[in-house]
Amino acid sequence: MLDTALEVVGGALLLLGLLLATIGLYGMLRKPRIFDQLHAAGLVTGPALILVLLASIAADSAETLTSAVLVILCVLITSPLSAHAIAQAAWRRRASRDDVESGDDQGSTSPRRIA
Amino acid sequence: MPDLLETVAAGWATLLLIAGGVLLLRAQDALQRLLALDVLVAIVVALLTIVSYARDVSYYIDAALALALLSFGATLVAARHVIRGRTP
Repeated sequence: MLDTALEVVGGALLLLGLLLATIGLYGMLRKPRIFDQLHAAGLVTGPALILVLLASIAADSAETLTSAVLVILCVLITSPLSAHAIAQAAWRRRASRDDVESGDDQGSTSPRRIA
Repeated sequence: MPDLLETVAAGWATLLLIAGGVLLLRAQDALQRLLALDVLVAIVVALLTIVSYARDVSYYIDAALALALLSFGATLVAARHVIRGRTP
């Protein structure tokens, strides 16, 4: 009884995680700017991956679940840090290039010259 | 985990991998390539996890953990390189 429930929940989590990854990748393919792509990439490297790893509750062995929990912890810590590093590099490169992006800037403030 | 679900998930993850490859080829500058590689590593981690469920062994997820850590370190170093140029 519990086995069947866990299998159903695990399968649902797996498919939901893959669906979120598809949505995130589609968003990344459609957007040309790095900042929009960062927004969609956070969906792929964050929630989509965590949902696929959480589907390990349906696995038969307990070692799979333990390893999956370790990877979830690693992803929770490293994914925002790497996204922040890329965003900071994009921001500073834009500041040092000193050009104004035309089009859909939506009134954001231009970056200050750093150093 | 049922057989059909594993096959569907593995096929879906492979399609996502191909889409990530297209994303990498269409990148316009270095930071977009870096981001595409980060996303590709995330998809590979998901694929390794699905293979681990399908074969009912746990060591593929351990390989995925090592890959995720290496990708994180490489992303930080490459982003720093884009800002600062070559460190003397």
